[in-house]
Formats: sequence, C-alpha cells, structure tokens
Amino acid sequence: MTPIIAFDGVSKWYGNVIGLNKLTLHIPAGVTGLLGPNGAGKSTLLQLATGQLRPSQGTVRVLGQDVWDNPALNRLVGLCPEQDAFYEWMTGHDFVRTCARLSGMSRPEATAAADRAMDQVGMTENMNRAIRGYSKGMRQRTKLAQALVHEPQVLFLDEPLTGTDPVARRDMIEVVRGLAAAGCSVLVSSHVLHEIQALTSRVVLLHRGRLVAEGNVREIRALIDKHPHRIVLVCDKFRDLAAKLSTCPDVDGIKFLDRESGLMVETRQPDTFYARLPALALADGVALREVYSEDDNLEAVFKYLVNK
Amino acid sequence: MTAVEVSPLRRGSSGALSALAALFMLTVRQHTHGRRVLVLGVLYLLPCVLALILRNLARPAPGDALELALVFVLLPHGLAPLTALLYAAGVVSDEVEEQTLTYLLLRSVPRWQLYLTKLLATWCVTTTLVACGVMTLYLAIYAGTPEFWNEALPRAGRTVVVMALAQVGYCSLFGFLGLFTRRSLLAGIVYIVAIEGVLANINFVGRALTVVYYVRTLTLRWLDLPPEELRTCKVTWSMDDLEKLPSSGECVLILLGVGLVVSVLSALSFARTEFRMKTPGSD
Repeated sequence: MTPIIAFDGVSKWYGNVIGLNKLTLHIPAGVTGLLGPNGAGKSTLLQLATGQLRPSQGTVRVLGQDVWDNPALNRLVGLCPEQDAFYEWMTGHDFVRTCARLSGMSRPEATAAADRAMDQVGMTENMNRAIRGYSKGMRQRTKLAQALVHEPQVLFLDEPLTGTDPVARRDMIEVVRGLAAAGCSVLVSSHVLHEIQALTSRVVLLHRGRLVAEGNVREIRALIDKHPHRIVLVCDKFRDLAAKLSTCPDVDGIKFLDRESGLMVETRQPDTFYARLPALALADGVALREVYSEDDNLEAVFKYLVNK
Repeated sequence: MTAVEVSPLRRGSSGALSALAALFMLTVRQHTHGRRVLVLGVLYLLPCVLALILRNLARPAPGDALELALVFVLLPHGLAPLTALLYAAGVVSDEVEEQTLTYLLLRSVPRWQLYLTKLLATWCVTTTLVACGVMTLYLAIYAGTPEFWNEALPRAGRTVVVMALAQVGYCSLFGFLGLFTRRSLLAGIVYIVAIEGVLANINFVGRALTVVYYVRTLTLRWLDLPPEELRTCKVTWSMDDLEKLPSSGECVLILLGVGLVVSVLSALSFARTEFRMKTPGSD
C-alpha cells in the first residue's frame, strides 16, 4: 500500500526535550491507530503531520506534499485536536460554520456543510446552544464536526474519545467507521488500546518519541490482557454503580476515588466490560458522566516492548 | 514505496476571499465579545463625564481648554494607544493562550494573510472605538454651544481621521510587540509612557520616532484650530515653527508606511513561527 502520511527520519526537539526521535513511518490509506502513553509523542506527531510544527530534522509529507504552511493541503486535511478549546461564546453550529467559511466556502455552502457535519456527529438538536453550556461529549462531537465540515480526505483525531460518555463514544466510533467506509483515511491517537481496537486493527505504537512497533493490534492485545485494565467511571451515584458492578464476572476489582465522585474498575476482559457500558449509562439513576482509562496498564506493556 | 500525490481542490480567488472575510468577521466578533470592550467603553466615558461636570460648574471651563486636555492630550497619549495595546498585542497571543489558534492554522488561509487580516480587523475595531470616543468627547465639550455645528463637529471628523492614522502606527507596533514578547502588556505600557509620553515631549530629533509627534503635527495642520488654541498647542508641544515640521503628506506617509512595514515584518515572522499547543499530556 502507498503511504498517505510519510515521516522520514523525523525528530522534534523542544529545547532539551525530545518530542519525536528519528521517526520513520509510512502510514497507508485507511484507519490507523496511534497508540502510546501520555508523553509518548502522539500529539507532537499529529501537530507535525498537520503542519502546526516543523520537524527539527527529517521530512513530513501528507498526500505527497510538504505540510508546513501549505494552505492548499489544509483543504484536504482535518484535525480534531486534543485540547478542549473553543470560542465559547459561539453556538456549536456557528463555530462549525465559521470553520467551514475559513476553509473557503461561501455562506450558503458553509451553512449547508455545518448542518451536515453537525448531523453527522449527532449534534443537530443542540447545535444552536452556546458551546460554553456543552457537556464534554458534546464538545468532543463539535470538535469532530469542525474537522469534518470541509470533507477532508485525511483526518487526524487526537484522543477523540477522552472523557466522553459511553453513548457519545459509541456514536463517535460509528462516525469514524462511516468515514473510513467512505474512503477517508484516519489517523487516530489514544492511550487506550480498547478505543483503537474498536476502530481499526492497524496500530502504530509510540513510546518516548520512538516507534516501538507497528502492525496488527491482535499481537499486542495478548500482552495487554496480562495486565489488569483500569477504567475510571464518573457519576453522581457511584456507590450504587459499584454495587451493580460488583456482581459482574468480568470485574476484578473496584476502588472508590477520593478526588471525584467516581470509581476505578479493574478488569482483564475490557471488551466485555466496555460492551456493557452503554446499557449501564442508560440504567436508572446511574447517569454516567465520564469514562476514561488510566494508562498505567499500557505503560507496563510499553516497558515490556521496549525492553524486549 | 511512492507517496500518493493528490492535487488540492481549487476553490479559486472567491474561496480565498471568503476565508479572509470569515477570519476578519471572526476577529471583529472576538474583539467585541467579553469584558475588554466594556472596560474600554467605561474608560472612554470617564473624560466625557469629566467634561460635562467641568462645563456645568459655576465658572464653566472653556471649551478650547477641555478640548486641548481631553482630545489632544488624553486621547492620543492615553486612551488611543491603550486601546490598540489591549487588542493588537493579543491578536495572536490570545489565540495561543486560549488554544484556538489550531482552528485557524489548519484552514486554507496562508499564515501571513492570517496575521494581516486579524491585524486589519483589530485596526477597524480600535479605530471605531476611538472614533466613538472622539465624537462623544466633542459632544460632551461642545454640545449646545454656538460653535458646535460649524466648528467643533467638522474638527471632530478630522480628529477621527488623525486618530485612525495613529491607530495604524499603534496597532502595528503593538502587534509586533505581542509576537516577540511574552509580557506584551507590560512592555506596551512602558512604551506608551516612555516613548509616546516622555520622548514625544522632548524637543529633540528623537521625538520624530513617536506616533504622537505626527498626530500633533497633523492636529496643527489639519484641524483649523482657533488662533488662541493653535498658539497654546504650539507652545505646549514645542512646535512653534510649522515650517520645520513635516508636511501633512509626509506625516500620513510615515504613519502608513511604518505601519505597513512593521505589519509585513510581523506577518512574515508569524508565518515562520511554530505555535505549540499544549495538550493535557505535554509539559
């Protein structure tokens, strides 16, 4: 397969800190997962690939073109950034429409494109509310909509599922699958293997700025399952939730969190557990607000891979 | 392996103009939202209130004295540069601080055009604010007097033009400052006090480096001040001999030219600068 995204001998330094270290990576069309613990260099890689940063060494090309200050290429590329930043005073629709206009669309085109993108991410109902009143899930959906609004050929998603509720998570996974089916190439980063696995079997593993491995997710999956998977669930009635979860055979342990109204679940069967989540989120009185996976387990796997 | 090469879709010049128009409007909306515009509105109202109070004392203050103090001193020395500083210094740094710059850098607007468009929008907003301030001040000083319609109002219009030119200089300078210094507000205030405040008042060749010098020259040349007020201005500003001052055309060219050069340099620098967006996982 020919590469859509090509990194050749790319290094990126921030002063004395190395963001990426001599990375050579060719990513073909389709959906690719970019996996690594926090600080692995995933965001640096995505910022380099979208032309926000210049490599200290090496070359980065997307669709065969240099990415730095290439506005023509930007019409073919979309990014859903990790940072939770918006023009808070705008409505969701206004924000996405403005992004469409910034991509060179006329007013009617931009309005139609924003309607379409908001519908695609399931935000039609709330698109005329101010962003400052949005939940985390709505904000993530809106960020995804702005990345889609100009119908890019290559989409970069930086931790798109972080902090979303299970329903938003499922919906966003469906959107990405739909995009892939429509021929859009997607590079999605995460520190949670399960999220990546739901989207693609092709993964790239980064650790401390280096390429650790790339290939089929199944090969590292076995390693992951040796380590308990830790998932944090945040909701108001977390004690009731704990009572419900304690009866589940796939739950190995439950720990209450001091810092927020939530609990941390340990499981060696994350697939089974995640499959149960949407139903749990909708169950009476539980109202899950946030789900995220701590990356300690992944860190352990990376240590293993690096030392192998 | 060979890379897949794709020719970008061409939207043509109308697409580029549409993107620039959207960026311009976005910047105007950013500037007119939030507390900054309210704070400045209050600051502009204070001298108006002061003028109204002084006009209504048992011995009212003369209009020309109020005009000199509030329109020709307070405005170009204080309010106008402060307005430019508050907006222009943050034209990029606010976007970086709020992490919204990503949304702009990833669109089809070349970086240098992005900076210049944002600066142009900033100039429009600050000039509008200053123009409103000038008109309100003239209204507060001269409303109800015989000279209001025939003298004060045309002078207010010409003052707006002079202040618009001043804003070209101030916005470009503070935009430049915002790109190169982290503490641009502090640096800007130091600049306003030391350069536009102190240096401009020293009768020395160095004052030709200040914006206020050209504002004063244009004030003397363009505003058709009453003879007594003109004499007071000349003495106060140590600009007795009009022959030795630059012509109106030179003043306009210098303000516009320097503004343009500084803005283009800033835009080129912006185009080459990396802006790393901090993520939750980054240091």
